[in-house]
Amino acid sequence: MIETAPPPLDYDPFDYRQHDDPYPVYRRLRDEAPVFHNSRYDFYALSRYDDCQRAVRDFKTFTSAQGTSLEELKAQVELLINTDPPVHSRLRHLTAGLFTPARVAPLEAAVRDMARALIAPHLAAGRIDIIDDFAARLPMAIICRLLGFRREDEDLLRGWTDTVVHRDEGVFAMPDEGMQATLKLYDYFNAELADRARGASREDIIGLLMAAQAEGRIDHQGVLGYIYILSIAGNETTTKLIGNMCYQLHRHPDQFAEVLADRSLISGLVEETMRFDGPTQMMARTTTRDVALHDRVIPAGKKVALIFTSGNRDERHYEHAERFDVHRNPRDHLGFGGGLHACLGAALARLEARVAMEELLSTLGYFAVEEEGLARMHSPNVRGFTHLLVRFVAR
Amino acid sequence: MPSVTFLPVDAPPIIAELLPDMTLMEVALINDVPGIIGMCGGICSCATCHVYVAADWADRLPAMTQEERAMVDALDRAGPTSRLGCQVRLEPGLDGLTVRVALPE
Repeated sequence: MIETAPPPLDYDPFDYRQHDDPYPVYRRLRDEAPVFHNSRYDFYALSRYDDCQRAVRDFKTFTSAQGTSLEELKAQVELLINTDPPVHSRLRHLTAGLFTPARVAPLEAAVRDMARALIAPHLAAGRIDIIDDFAARLPMAIICRLLGFRREDEDLLRGWTDTVVHRDEGVFAMPDEGMQATLKLYDYFNAELADRARGASREDIIGLLMAAQAEGRIDHQGVLGYIYILSIAGNETTTKLIGNMCYQLHRHPDQFAEVLADRSLISGLVEETMRFDGPTQMMARTTTRDVALHDRVIPAGKKVALIFTSGNRDERHYEHAERFDVHRNPRDHLGFGGGLHACLGAALARLEARVAMEELLSTLGYFAVEEEGLARMHSPNVRGFTHLLVRFVAR
Repeated sequence: MPSVTFLPVDAPPIIAELLPDMTLMEVALINDVPGIIGMCGGICSCATCHVYVAADWADRLPAMTQEERAMVDALDRAGPTSRLGCQVRLEPGLDGLTVRVALPE
């Protein structure tokens, strides 16, 4: 009998091949190298639940000030996600009150109407691209509504924000197209702000930020950066969550049947998908001092990838962690990160994902994924589909 | 130095600088207070910053919103002076505030 040695362990989020199924690599990282060093790009990676949890909480050691991507930070603007307290707290407090579960709850009817309107044209055909026809449109429509942007600009804005997060294979930096798209977004926001400054003030997020600027609590660049982050964060992660949720139902027919029979399980489906196959795979931090962990030392000033979806499958924390179970209802998963930078829009994402799923299930019933038509987006941070075609009984 | 005191479970008290405009939860994280996790980052949806406010302080804090009330009421370990640290904004007048950290749910 010939035993073949396993391939050398490598975690390279810039390698497209790792995006199809990163979970075996994550498992090996947790077991064999809980402090992994990628020598090609000179960053470290933490993959166990406890280590990720501790790192998101300990912002003094694991700072966000050098950005949350592995690549070097290009922006000089103080962005919500790229700051530590007290600057971060000041920025986050400006809008945090608008994102609590109770404050986003009134959006439910709008999300439902939009979901129905997006699904309806496809019912007769018995076929819909869950991403392109539905999930890619729903979150951007809601974020445009929250930010007060025109509905006819949704496609334009979504195109730019998608371009911003795309990374070319093997390239350790934002491509030129991404920089161009960033500039276009900033131009758009600038024009919007100028436009609104001439009109009556409105009571939405931008109105709140403009009022804060008038009081000297944030400057113009800060407002632009804020809108930029909300546009990007509110868009693609929720899109990917809805896609991944549909895909996991397809992969787990027994649970698909259960959820169809009992819609109250949908909230559990959302949480379990966030844990098991959440869109945000990884966020980076930078060490502010030498960190000794698992017999290794991460030197000060190094980028550290916190692999949230690996922590979420850590057997040391969850029983049968690699098993998908809509009954698990894990509320301590790292799918939304954790600590002071935990996803500001988590309650909104949960609402959108739940309502999207309720509407998909009640209109489509069972659906089957066309596996040959699956296409993925490629980003070191975010994982999900760009096309997810499903078939169902035409109505 | 204006301060707030955290009494963690099975750990020594932690006297932390009162940082105005920050929340109790944020100050707890800044000072590594055991048992305060702040999983949701302060959007009133995880209750991992549950504390019991010292009785003589309970009435002096800003009132609870309905939303915080509902979250607290749903906790098994809720007590008469329970608060969510992320919903308590600090101000200089709260110098001397003492809170006990709740056990996890």
